[in-house]
This record gives sequence, structure tokens and C-alpha cells, in this order.
Amino acid sequence: MFMLHYCTGCGAIELPPAMTSRFDMERLGIQPMVTPRQADILLITGYVSIKTLKRVILTYEQMSSPKYVIGICSCTVNGGMYWQSYATAKKLSDYMPVDLYIAGCMPRPEAVISGMRTLMENIRSGKADNWKDYYQRYDHYLGNQQGLFGEKWQTPTDVIAEADHYGLSGPGTRGEHTELLLQHQKPLEALEMRLGLSGKTVEVES
Amino acid sequence: MNEEVALTPTLKAVLSEFDGLRYRYTSARRLRVDLPSDALPAMLELLQGRAGYAHLSAISCVDWPDDGDFELVYHVWSYTHQNLVSAHIRIPRDPGVYLSVYDLYQPAGFFERDIHEMFGVYFEGSPDMEKFILTEWDGPPPMRKEFDSEGFVNDHFTWQEYRPEWLEEIEEQGGGITTRPEDIRL
Amino acid sequence: MRAENYEAVRQPPSNEYELNFGPNHPGIEGNYALKVKLHGDQVVAARADGGYLHRGFEKLMEGRLWIQNLALVPRICVPDPAPMEVCYSVGIEDIGGLEAPERAQWLRVLQLELSRMASHLFAFGGHAATTGMYSPMFWGFADRDLILDLFEELTGGRVYHIYNIPGGVRRDIPEGFLDRVTSVMDYIESRLSDYDNLLFTNQVFVDRARGVGTLNQQQALEWGVTGPNLRATGLAFDVRRDDPYLVYDQIEFDVPTEQAGDAWARTLVRRKELVESIRIVRQVVERLPSIPGPIRCPIPNPLAWNLPAGETYTRVESSKGELAYYIVSNGGDKPYRVHVRGPSATHAVQVLENLARGSRLEDVAQIMFSLDACPPEVDR
Repeated sequence: MFMLHYCTGCGAIELPPAMTSRFDMERLGIQPMVTPRQADILLITGYVSIKTLKRVILTYEQMSSPKYVIGICSCTVNGGMYWQSYATAKKLSDYMPVDLYIAGCMPRPEAVISGMRTLMENIRSGKADNWKDYYQRYDHYLGNQQGLFGEKWQTPTDVIAEADHYGLSGPGTRGEHTELLLQHQKPLEALEMRLGLSGKTVEVES
Repeated sequence: MNEEVALTPTLKAVLSEFDGLRYRYTSARRLRVDLPSDALPAMLELLQGRAGYAHLSAISCVDWPDDGDFELVYHVWSYTHQNLVSAHIRIPRDPGVYLSVYDLYQPAGFFERDIHEMFGVYFEGSPDMEKFILTEWDGPPPMRKEFDSEGFVNDHFTWQEYRPEWLEEIEEQGGGITTRPEDIRL
Repeated sequence: MRAENYEAVRQPPSNEYELNFGPNHPGIEGNYALKVKLHGDQVVAARADGGYLHRGFEKLMEGRLWIQNLALVPRICVPDPAPMEVCYSVGIEDIGGLEAPERAQWLRVLQLELSRMASHLFAFGGHAATTGMYSPMFWGFADRDLILDLFEELTGGRVYHIYNIPGGVRRDIPEGFLDRVTSVMDYIESRLSDYDNLLFTNQVFVDRARGVGTLNQQQALEWGVTGPNLRATGLAFDVRRDDPYLVYDQIEFDVPTEQAGDAWARTLVRRKELVESIRIVRQVVERLPSIPGPIRCPIPNPLAWNLPAGETYTRVESSKGELAYYIVSNGGDKPYRVHVRGPSATHAVQVLENLARGSRLEDVAQIMFSLDACPPEVDR
């Protein structure tokens, strides 16, 4: 399993010990991966501030299915120690489906590895399919996201089209929030990147 | 009223240039100076040039809503004299504008930017008053005393449902939680 | 890409290209972003973009009791949390007129120096990783884990210790702890020559890191650089020596410096500081059995403790530079204002932008790691 190497918060300091020689996740088949497009697991290590949450949702939508989210540390569960803070998100599962929580502040590398193994068991037994939930109830998640980020919130990924493509769109995929999204959604424009090579322009899809 | 403090000759040379200031040693290497806000840039310039206080350690801002002031504190340290001078000034909260000391001390650029986004104080002459941390925040400056962080959280976020089995069993038998966490406030 | 966060560069044909060295990147220490404008490989301009780790600590601390903030305070700097706790506790002691007993001060020194060593092992492992050498990172983390085991034995927590309390420390050392400390120190000292062969005198690393992100002393003083970064330019300033706190005036240690001011010099200063920290820990281990006594001085009931009005500016030397807390009390049971001045406040924003300009893209990650700029301290 490839986990995305994105340190979102404090808990990231116990990830390198889990990856390196002492606790060695690699022998269980878990390796860090740099790009979200090829990663399976998104580890939310710790609290997510609102600014990070936008990037995390973008990253989550960029990952290809099936994908799993693990919420490490107690801050993803119910706000943790920063429950009074205006700048952190309290309940991560409002904004994206979470497959597993590993509680602690912060959890030991052994707890992280044990959590990963539980996730592997869940995947094997078929219980870990919350990624489908994102498509099936996209309206609910989008509503929460819009409530926090404002009504103009838009990501480059066309989740509704993906849901239709995977055959996972359900009654909860479209709703009032997606209506709001469609009103102002700008389609992706090609990013024009000009190089100073004799006036030749290259168009790049962003 | 100044206590009988033994100032070093260099500090005396600087502080004697100003009237209306009060100073005292709060501990062995900490001198606290209170001065009127229009005298501060000149004093920092003299401290830097004449007395060799080369390092601006921090600029702190304290909000005193009852007095209607912001208190700005400039902490400068001298490598040669090994002494820290904290210069306290008060500026009125209402316009909340002050001069920047970026031309004297470059680290002020960051601290003034930070105070600007957290308290709303504008520093004239600062090279950069753009937000750094709160770039996607459109509420009031959060460090002001009237901003209630907990109220904001209760308005904008929801909490996790907590219905564990053991609690449900207790409630079936007639018990339950007697004091909710919201009612205990230290 | 969100339209509001990205402005398309519409300009006449040029070689300039804007790249978001964004938060999700292994070349950035922590969760931080740097927007760089490039001409091919050369960085022309850089703009730091923080706030991804903002939790509003200063606001949170105003709403909690003095003693409750001890749980919050280590989380401000993630790799090196001990100086944060010590700074806060010493600040409260200054305002409240308490004095920690001598044994507690020596134990605090032990905690600080072990934390400094753990942080330096992390820092040069990270720096090596940005040049593509991953073995020092693995070794650094493995050795750091031994120190974290010591912390777990002493304080109960690997990373966040919450060991200090205003007035002293929470627990005394367990049985046989000092022997274990000595054996870990011996082990790390014996590994230093291996680290030298692998990393510090390795010609590949020296060639990569030399001349990258050079600061001279004049610039460092102007830009407010402190800590190992300043010592790498030749100025021997250390808060432990020049503004002593705890019992550092009774301990013998040197302040290592280098002259070059580039990334290699900074990492070398950290390696020398590792040696100095081992020396300090050995002195503490020697002195500690002969200092009996309480580990805490009596404090009033922490749940109803009104600290007298006053303010204090406490400074300690964290592994990254000068850490300072400005604590204001107005006589209540909660702090009125706590301002945290992290060492990376200057390093990660202005110094990083200035140094990145003119360097090559592959060196930007190296500059950030060699400055040891810790984003949680900047964002608080």
C-alpha cells in the first residue's frame, strides 16, 4: 500500500520513525509515495487547519479510487486539544469519509503500524469502502465544505462525472449544494505556458 | 518615577535624550522602558546606533480594551552589553496605526505583518502588510479580545456523536451523565 | 489548483515560470509553502506562504488556566518541544516569584539537552535527505529513537513530554536511569565517527552543500538570525552563555562556530553542538546524584491560582535558535497574553526568501532544511 507522504500536522513526527529502521513499515508493504495520483492512503496526521483542509480535499479528490483515509491523532476525531480553536477543523468525517481512526496524541509508531494492519484486514474483508461513500453522498460532503469555505468553493475534479463513470452515483450525489456548485463552476481552462523559444507557444492542460 | 537604577553609561547616554520616560530593571538583564509613542523610533535609532543594540528579538502586541489601547512592546538585545531593553508604548485602539521600524530592524517586517493580521494594527512604511498566516480568513482580527473563539467554533463546526454502548447500557438502567462538559468551566 | 489561490501569469514571452513549492512536498520541512519564480533552473523570486499549521495558540492560551497551558505549549514546536515547556514554566516562575529547586533545574537541563540532541539528529538527517542521501536520515532517526526511549522512561511521552511544571519538574528519575543515559551517550558518541564518514566529510555532501545559501555575519545580524545559523557565520552567541537561565552558568561547555555561513557550515555547527550536548549531559549525570532535594517548590492550588500582575520576557536557546516568550499577567487565573517568538519566525520567512533568490531550484530544499526552519513555530 502506498501512503501519501503529506505531513499535515503534529503527528507527522512519528511517521519517520515508523518508516525507518526501527519500526519499519516497509516489511508490511507500506511505502511512502510522493504524488497523490499514485497513492492509496491519505494519512491525515493530526489536526487540519482550515487552510490545510482545502489542500487535503483537493489531494483526496486527486487520488484514484479505491482510496483510504486514515485519521491519525485525536484531533481528527473531535477536535482534540484545539477544540476551541477558530482555525482547525473539528470533525474530519464531515468533509471526507474516513476509514480508520488511530487515537493518541500522538500515537506511537507501533500504534500507527497496527492501525495500518487493521486497515489491511478491513480492505481484505471488504469493509473499507468509504471511498464509495464520497460519491454516493457527495452532496452532504459538499454542503459541509461549502459551509466552511464559502459558497464559491470549487475543486478542479468533477466528482459528479466521476461518480457517474464509476456507477456510484446515488440519490445523495446531487442535491442543493451541487446545484450551487454548478452555478458558478468554471470549467478547467488550458494553462497557457509560453516559452521564449522563437514565439512558439505550448498549451498545457492543468 | 524611576527607581535608583544603575544604568550603564551607554544606556544613560540614550535614555537621557528623552523626557517623559520611565524605566526600571525587572530582572538582572531586563530593562523595561515606558515611553510615549512618538518617541519610540528615535529611541530605537539611538539604541541601535549609539548603544549597539543590534538585535530586535520580537515585537509583541497586547490588547487592553478597557483602556482603549494597544500596547506595543519592542524587545531589543545587545550582543555586546548582553542586556535586553523592552520598550513599551501605547497606541490608541481606534485608528490602530503606527509607524514601522523596518528601516531600522529588518526582522520587524515579519512581526509587524503578524500583528497586522492578528490585531488589525496598520504599520505605515512597512514593506509588506499582506496576510501571512490568515490568508483565507475573512473574519475579524482574531487576537482581539472581543473575538470569541469558542463562540465561533460553536457556530461553524459540529461535534462528533458520542453514543458508546456502555453509556447506552447505563442510561437504560436509569443513569447517565450528570454534569455535561459544557457546564464545567475552569 | 483553485482559481483564487493561483494567478495565471499573463506576460509577454519570457522564461519565467511560477512554481508552487507547495505544502505537499517532501522537500519542505513540515507543512509550509514557498512560491518560487524560476528562470529555467534559477530562482528569481521566492515568497513564503505559511499558515497551514495555524491553530491559534495565543488565543487558546488566553482561555485556559496557567497549568492547562502546559499541555498546549510543547505542541508549538514539534521536533524540539522541551524548550517551549521550560520557557513557559520559567516565565511563570518569574512572574509568580517562585524558584525551582536545584535538582529540578538540573533535571530540566537534562531534558533540554536530550531534546536538543534529538532535534539535531532529525535536522541533519533531513538535510542529508534533501541532497539525496537517505542513509543518514535512517541512522539519525534510529539514534533519535534511543533518546525518545529515554524520554519515555523519564516523562511518559516520546515526543510531547509535559514534564515541566511551574516550580519544578513532575517526576524524579527512575532507578538506574542515569546508567541508561550514560550508555546512550556512549553509543551516540561512538557513532559520530560513522556519521562523519558517511555524511560530514563525505565529498559528495560537501560539494553539494558548500556554497549553498551563504549568509555572511553582517546579513545574519541584520536579518535577525539566531542559533546555529548565526554561529555558522562566526558570531559565538548562545543564550545559554550570554543570558544564562537555569544552571547553565555552572556547566562547562563551548559554543562552536564556523566561518563559512553556508549550508554545510550550518550542518557542521549542529554536529559540533551534538558533541557539546553530550558533554553537558555527562556533567549533569555526574552532578545529579549529589544534589538531593525536592523536585518541585510548593505552588498554590493550580486550578485556582491567580498569578500576580506583571510581565516577563523569557528566552531560552532551542535547537533552532533563540526562543522567547512574552507573558503578561493581569492578576487572573488565565494568561492575559502570551506571545511566542519562535526562532523560525525570522528564519522561515525573510531569510528563506532572501537566500532562495539566486539559488537553483534543487538547492531550495537544502536551504530550508539547513536553516532548520520549523513551520509550526512560525504559524503557532
